[in-house]
Order: sequence, then structure tokens, then C-alpha cells
Amino acid sequence: MKIIVLAERYNALVELCSGARKLGNWVEAISIGSLAPQGVNGADKVWSIPEQDGVMWEDYTETIAALLDKEKPNFLLVQATKRCKLVAGRLSAMMGASVITDVMELSSDGETKRMVYGGTAVRREKASTSIAIVMVGPGVLAGEAPVEFSGEVETLSFIEPKVKIKVVGREQKPKISVDLPNAKRVVGVGRGLGKEEDLAMVHQLAEAINGEVGCSRPIAEGEKWMPKETYIGVSGLMLAPEVYIALGISGQVQHMVGINRSKVVIAVNKDKNAPIFKQADYGIVGDIYKVVPAMIAQLGK
Amino acid sequence: MNIITCFKVVPEEQDIIIKSNGELSFERAKTTISNYDLNSIEAGTQLIEANGGTLIALSVGAANIDDSKLKKNVLSRGPESVFLLADAQLENSDTHQTALALKAAIEKIGNYDLILCGEGSADLYAQQVGNQLGQLLNLPTVNSITKITEGKGKVVVERTLEDEVETLELDLPAVVSVTSDINLSRIPSLKQILAAGKKPSTVWSLADVNLTKPADTIEIIETKAPQQVERKQDVVEGDSEDAIKKFIEKIAVELK
Repeated sequence: MKIIVLAERYNALVELCSGARKLGNWVEAISIGSLAPQGVNGADKVWSIPEQDGVMWEDYTETIAALLDKEKPNFLLVQATKRCKLVAGRLSAMMGASVITDVMELSSDGETKRMVYGGTAVRREKASTSIAIVMVGPGVLAGEAPVEFSGEVETLSFIEPKVKIKVVGREQKPKISVDLPNAKRVVGVGRGLGKEEDLAMVHQLAEAINGEVGCSRPIAEGEKWMPKETYIGVSGLMLAPEVYIALGISGQVQHMVGINRSKVVIAVNKDKNAPIFKQADYGIVGDIYKVVPAMIAQLGK
Repeated sequence: MNIITCFKVVPEEQDIIIKSNGELSFERAKTTISNYDLNSIEAGTQLIEANGGTLIALSVGAANIDDSKLKKNVLSRGPESVFLLADAQLENSDTHQTALALKAAIEKIGNYDLILCGEGSADLYAQQVGNQLGQLLNLPTVNSITKITEGKGKVVVERTLEDEVETLELDLPAVVSVTSDINLSRIPSLKQILAAGKKPSTVWSLADVNLTKPADTIEIIETKAPQQVERKQDVVEGDSEDAIKKFIEKIAVELK
């Protein structure tokens, strides 16, 4: 079994390389540009593609394709980012394969699980091609301590892409300081919140319990009170914290799939019939504006 | 500019029934346009309205995508005609098969400058078909696009990624996948709906586009409703001071 791993970020590369060990005993990482030409913890070997002037990250696709062609790995594990989705898609078209995206589970025989029909169902599937291209979200393969890198770094020569795209400009988005996938405690807020200013109260609760704040989709996409990157559920974040506290969240399947791997689920909602209570360990049928201030006062002690 | 906007026909989510064994039943599910593709159709319509040109809608899938109501729905949103590659052999196609089928249909249509896709489909959301299609056609290909501006022989697009926003210039023809942030899809007017009935549609089979069914690249093992996690469901009713106190005592144990 040979596994090659592709990621935009070093941490993701290490996580995927370490987690890939359950698929097979030989893991090679691709380092693009300055990412990790000195080596990647968790990997047995690194393929380094030197930084090129004036090219996009996506312009390394042809070079990666040539590597896959030569090395014929059983798996290509790819970080689940937008750029990676484009590169993985282009690679799969070149290799006559598909890409299994955003998997929530990857077992040792290559079987994957992913959400389909907006969270209504989970599909178990595996690639039937000689290479399986699988995109893995943050945390899915976490937990394995990375082995310190002591292998070989081989440099690949860059293959000029036939089709080029001109980059006119690039702007950083304002940094989002929360790291929800790695938070042990998460407070999620939903439509039950009356107005944007009341988010302050939600943040106070998160601070009191040493957690981070996420939200349901309407708060990020409809109201735009929270950044899009913080919404939990289908096509958003899939979390598995130790404790999840849902404030004013009704418990639609689209949201719940993003938190149902939490160890403990706590719900505050004024609607007694909200489906969230059937999927919570602890709950209170009450007004968040009464309950949350009391929680902050008591739990922050 | 000649635009082809691709759309997927998907089952209406609320009509999907979960059977007692956890499997899904689509028997009562009506078909509809995948909601992300409403944005790609709208993006095409807005470009045509602003700069002129032609807009064709294209879908590939099983025989049941050839549906008069559905065609009218698509055509009421701006395209001047709709092409369907509707073939029983394309039922449950994977992303690779879909991209190959779209390529065959697009090559038969010919004459295009811009191909639009939605970022992903409402049912499977693999976010792959546009990317694979662009590579199969050997064209400039981008995903996650939130703005398109037409220029001479090119388009300038805004691409919104996790941490950054890029502005890119693509030579035409090109394949562009757009996110639902690019626009608000229109609600067609009565006039547009009536006009849609008079617009032409073309239905092809795989043989018509000279394609034999591509091999499966994915083996589906099962599709089932997720198992509910057993939860304590220890719920305090009411928000009196006493009730809140009781609730906080319970959760404090978990938050130590």
C-alpha cells in the first residue's frame, strides 16, 4: 500500500500523513514551494516541488499528475480546502478517477463515509479505480502522534501547465481567530438569538466555560452576524467537541449532523417541542436571555 | 458571449422518505433543479442581460430529467434553450461519469465561450463536476467564484477561498463554478414563465452524443439515514430561578 498526501498547510499535511498509517505502512508527502522542503513529520518520504515565480498553487497540478503517474499510489489523500478541491478534480479527470470529498470517516480498507442529501443520509462508498482520491476534513484522521521525519526528500522538476490563469490580485480575508475543529467546548447559537448585539452574551458564556463560539447556518448566511467559516452543519463545519451547548437552535438535521459526534450535547430552547431536546443529554425549556446570564454567573466562577 | 450553464436534476429533499430500515425511498420525490445551480443559471442570465450573447442550459442524467415542468422552470430563468442528455444508463452517475457526459454534450453543442456550473449539487455536494469537466476540456478552470465580469475574449472573476479573495483573469473559453454567494436567483415572473413554454428544448441519448457509458469509478456500498446517537434527554422544563439552578447543577458536572 502506498499513500501520497497533498495539503496546502503543514499541520494538515502532518495530520493526514500520520492518520494515513492505518491505510498502509508507506506514506509520502508532497511539499509545494516553501511548505516543507526540509521534511514532513509523519511521512516516510517527501516529494518537494520547488517554488516557481508567478504561478498559482493550482499550477502545480501537472507536476503532481506526473508524480502519480510514475509512483502509482493506491491512495491520494487530500486536505479538504477549495484549492485542493480544484486540484483533486483536475487530477482525477487526468487519471480517469473520481474524488470522494469531505469524508467524515476513512477505514483501513479504504471505505469512506460522507453525508449526502443535505445530511438526511450517510453514504458508504469506496473508489473502484486503481487510485482512490479522498479528501479528508480536519480532525477526521487526527489523534495519531506524528513520527519525526527522517526520510528522503526528493525534488521534482516543475512541469509548465498548458493552460494558465492570470492572477490580477489577492487579498487576505480578515483573520478568524477561532479554531472550532479543535475546540473542546463549543457554544452554538441559532435563530433564537434576537439581535446581533446579543452575541456578546454568547461570547461571555464561551469564555466562562473556556470554549469557542459557532453558529447555525441562518446566523452566518441569512443574518450574516457571524463569519461563514463558523457555521456548523452540512456544507459547514463537522465538529466533535467534548461538550456542545446549543442556544436557540431548533435541531434541524442539517445542523445536527455537524455536532452529533459531540460527547455531551446541552440545549437551551424556549420551544418545548424543538427536536434538539430529543438529541440532547441535558436541556432546559426556557428563554436564553434568562438562562444564559445565569450560566455565565454560575459556570464562570 | 455564448454561455452554457450546466444544472443537475435532483430529488426534492423534503420528499425523501426514510424507511424503517434506514434506507431512503425516492418513490414520492419530485425532481427539481439543484439549488446551487439556480445561482449558476442566474449568473449566466445576468451576464447576457448586461452584455448580450446567448445562454443555453444543459443537464445530463437519467431518463426522468426529461420533464416538461422542469424544462419550463429552467427556461423561465433566462436561458433561450435547454439541452438534456437523458439516458437510463446515466442514472446515479458518479462525478467522473457526469463530467464525461457533459463534455460529450458540450462538444456536440459546440460554439461556447463560457461554461458555468454550480459549486456542488444539492444531493451529493461533491463539488467536483465543474473542476473535472474543465480539465477534460483542457480549459482554464476555477471554482468558488463569487463575481464574474466580462471583458474582451476573457472574463475577470473573483474567487473567495477560506482565507483570501483572488481576482483572476481567464482566457475564454473557460469553465467556472460559482458559489451561492454570487447572486440571489430570481423568482420568474408570470411573463417569463409563459415565454418559457415557447422556448426550444433538445433531448439526446448517449448514442446521440457518441458516448458509451463510462465505467463506474465509485462503488456505493450503502446509503442510509445516520444512526441517532443515544442521548440522556434530561430536560428541565421552565425557566424559573429554581429550574435554571437545577439545570446548571446538572451541566456543571460535565463542565468541570
